[in-house]
Amino acid sequence: MRKIEKVVVLGANGTMGAGSAEVFAAGGCEVILLARSADKAQAGLEAAQGMAKSTTIGSLMKAGSYDDDLEKAVAGADLIFEALAEDMEIKKEFFARVSKARQADSIVATVSSGLSITEMAAAGDASFAKNFLGIHLFNPPNVIVGTEVIPHAGTDAALIDPIVELLENRFGRVVTLCRDLPAFAGNRVGFKVLNEVAQLAAEHGVAYMDYVVGPYTGRAMPPLATVDLVGLDVHKAIVDNVHANTADEAHDCFALPAYVQKLIDNGHLGNKTGALGGFYRRVKENGKNVRYVLDPASGDYRAPTDAVVEPVPFIEEISKLHRVGRYREAMQLFVEAKGKEADIARKVIFGYVSYALNRVGDGEVVREPRDVDRIMGFGFNWAPPTVLADIIGHRETIAQIEKYGLQVPAVLAKAAGDSPLFREPNVNIGRFFSA
Amino acid sequence: MAEPVYILGGYQTDFARNWTKENKHIMALIREAVIGGLAETGIDPREVEVGHVGNFAAELYAMQGHLGAFLVDADPAFSGLPTSRHEAACASGSIALLAASAEIEAGRYDLAMVVGVEQMKTVDPKTGGDYLGTAAWYEREAEGVEFPFPKLFGKLGDEYDKRYGLKDEHLAHISAVNYSNAKRNPLAQTRSWYMTEDHANSTDKFNSIIGGRIKISDCSQVTDGAVTVFLASAKGAAAYAKQRGIDLAKLPKILGWGHRTAPIEFTTKVAESAGNEYILPHTRRAIVDAFDRAGVSGVADVDAIETHDCFTTSEYMAIDHFGLTKPGESWKAIEDGTIELGGKTPINPSGGLIGAGHPVGATGCRQLLDAYKQVTNTAGDYQVDGAKKIATLNIGGSGTTSCCFVVGH
Repeated sequence: MRKIEKVVVLGANGTMGAGSAEVFAAGGCEVILLARSADKAQAGLEAAQGMAKSTTIGSLMKAGSYDDDLEKAVAGADLIFEALAEDMEIKKEFFARVSKARQADSIVATVSSGLSITEMAAAGDASFAKNFLGIHLFNPPNVIVGTEVIPHAGTDAALIDPIVELLENRFGRVVTLCRDLPAFAGNRVGFKVLNEVAQLAAEHGVAYMDYVVGPYTGRAMPPLATVDLVGLDVHKAIVDNVHANTADEAHDCFALPAYVQKLIDNGHLGNKTGALGGFYRRVKENGKNVRYVLDPASGDYRAPTDAVVEPVPFIEEISKLHRVGRYREAMQLFVEAKGKEADIARKVIFGYVSYALNRVGDGEVVREPRDVDRIMGFGFNWAPPTVLADIIGHRETIAQIEKYGLQVPAVLAKAAGDSPLFREPNVNIGRFFSA
Repeated sequence: MAEPVYILGGYQTDFARNWTKENKHIMALIREAVIGGLAETGIDPREVEVGHVGNFAAELYAMQGHLGAFLVDADPAFSGLPTSRHEAACASGSIALLAASAEIEAGRYDLAMVVGVEQMKTVDPKTGGDYLGTAAWYEREAEGVEFPFPKLFGKLGDEYDKRYGLKDEHLAHISAVNYSNAKRNPLAQTRSWYMTEDHANSTDKFNSIIGGRIKISDCSQVTDGAVTVFLASAKGAAAYAKQRGIDLAKLPKILGWGHRTAPIEFTTKVAESAGNEYILPHTRRAIVDAFDRAGVSGVADVDAIETHDCFTTSEYMAIDHFGLTKPGESWKAIEDGTIELGGKTPINPSGGLIGAGHPVGATGCRQLLDAYKQVTNTAGDYQVDGAKKIATLNIGGSGTTSCCFVVGH
């Protein structure tokens, strides 16, 4: 059993770096936070204290700089956790330094959300590669417990189970074990849906799509508002990577829409570029927050009064049913609803179920439906695919998948019975269905 | 000899959920708890003969009264079911359980469903604190006071300090133990929160003083949650056991109960108990009543306690009132590890109100369900090894309504 008592975080000034430091310190580890300067690392340390809502957690943390402290800190660490910018060259440069300085039995992990683990592992010596793996935490890590663990082909097999166990039991993570494929499990499945909705918005409009595939379909936040939160640049990096490096049944869903590229070119990256916005632009008018909505065709932002989406009866009815906890009846209505909106929403949702469960199996991203369920439920806060299949019924789900010309996942075809596929006894499935 | 009251099990919602963020009506909480309870126990809704709801203040938090009627809406088979709602501030859940028990003891019904429920995240913390003030004498103790209850339970600590001496680090330890236990409970609200004894001992912007000696880390949580418990007569339990091919003797019972109400105003309580070795003698009496009815000679005969730690001071009070130490010496059981998981008499293996959460009207039911889980060895990671008898203590107001149960075989 490997011990993890001393952790070094690289890139500790960033949100993921500071958040990771919080997670490890909360589990009782001593954490050294490193950044370009000790001041920046100190800012990360203070951010971690803010996330923990505790000053005393700082007693487990020290701040330092790459120039002054990296080699010594790495030499004393059980785990070196990399949370640098999502740039392969920068990461490789640091891994070469880490490889020289580390103890032979220390673990090295990257928080990367989709870069090749195999390629990063090759940036150090043989011992580095053997002890290298991906530990993908989601943002903000102290709140979102869904975590992906991604070994590469050369990762010491004896390392994996103990790491998963530690992450779950000591650091409170809900772990999905993934193969080293582009964007891993959560972002592969999640951004397929998000980009598909962005594509559909070119024709149907932003507010319309966020309404039609809104929280009632099993998510905490509407899809395009989610992309605004993540950042359009991050969204592009993920879908471009998957589009360039995979060739699956939903390949076209990963093509970044031209209007989104134009937004990025003009610096509209979402919430982080406040005044410019992304799919939405928040403006203060007479002291009130007003949300303008992008018109994908013109690139203009429209006042909410000019972008009103007419309520659709079946969606309103489903929300009402969710509101009082009648989830099964609500999703029955979803399957039976007629009209344009029903077809758009069903194609996206059954596309999600189909695509997610097709990522399960030999040669695929994960081994069990449970793995993809966990990351969608606890990384994205979306109804896990098997929750939807269970509540709608396996046969009906298969019929819908076929109706929309999608691939029926083998795990679903095989289950095709009444015994539930979702087996997490302490998870309330009602939490996924927002009204 | 009264009819025995069996516990057939039940269901708790995940106390970490924010049902307002999910845009849910209190009906969704009730429905999930009821449907979950029926699924967990395998009880056919047509077999349920009566329904009771424990709830403190849905009229304020959710603009909804008449909660008993919402049970009927949870399943078509409940149409016509006799139901009622019970209120005694934070002891509402236990009062609902007592009402159901009384009906079973009287032979009126063989299978009762009790649901404790509170939806609290509908309002901001200050408004919520004001609503909670109605559990005190509002006009005299709460009106115009920001967060009245922490201040009242701070005064309980002050009274201990005056009579016996009280160190805040003992309160911090109570907090740390509850948070630590909650990490083992997959339904606990704070299971992924950061807390250590050092933090509980600190005082700064992250652990500020809410009132008197009460800091954030001394407080229980604002929680949305619902819990269902099924109670049965010997006849109802025998049928349940037979259907499942299990031995009736394996089903736990409410072995004893205690229920006392003190004057509502805190200063009146304290004046009344001047010269008494127990600061809340009526709470002590409720415990002794429950032990006597259960045929239990004292706290040494129970394997763990689920107590009302709305604040660390209330658990501090529970320690000596249960008899784990002499009056005024609760700190001894804190220092020697008695109250910790693995200790002689663990308190709140679930995490209690501080760690697991405190949906006010559901807490009494949550305690009884956790007691059921412990004595049936189904508490998972927070199981107390070999637990045979568990005591619960649920308190409404500032030590006003006290309800105690002893659960076991």
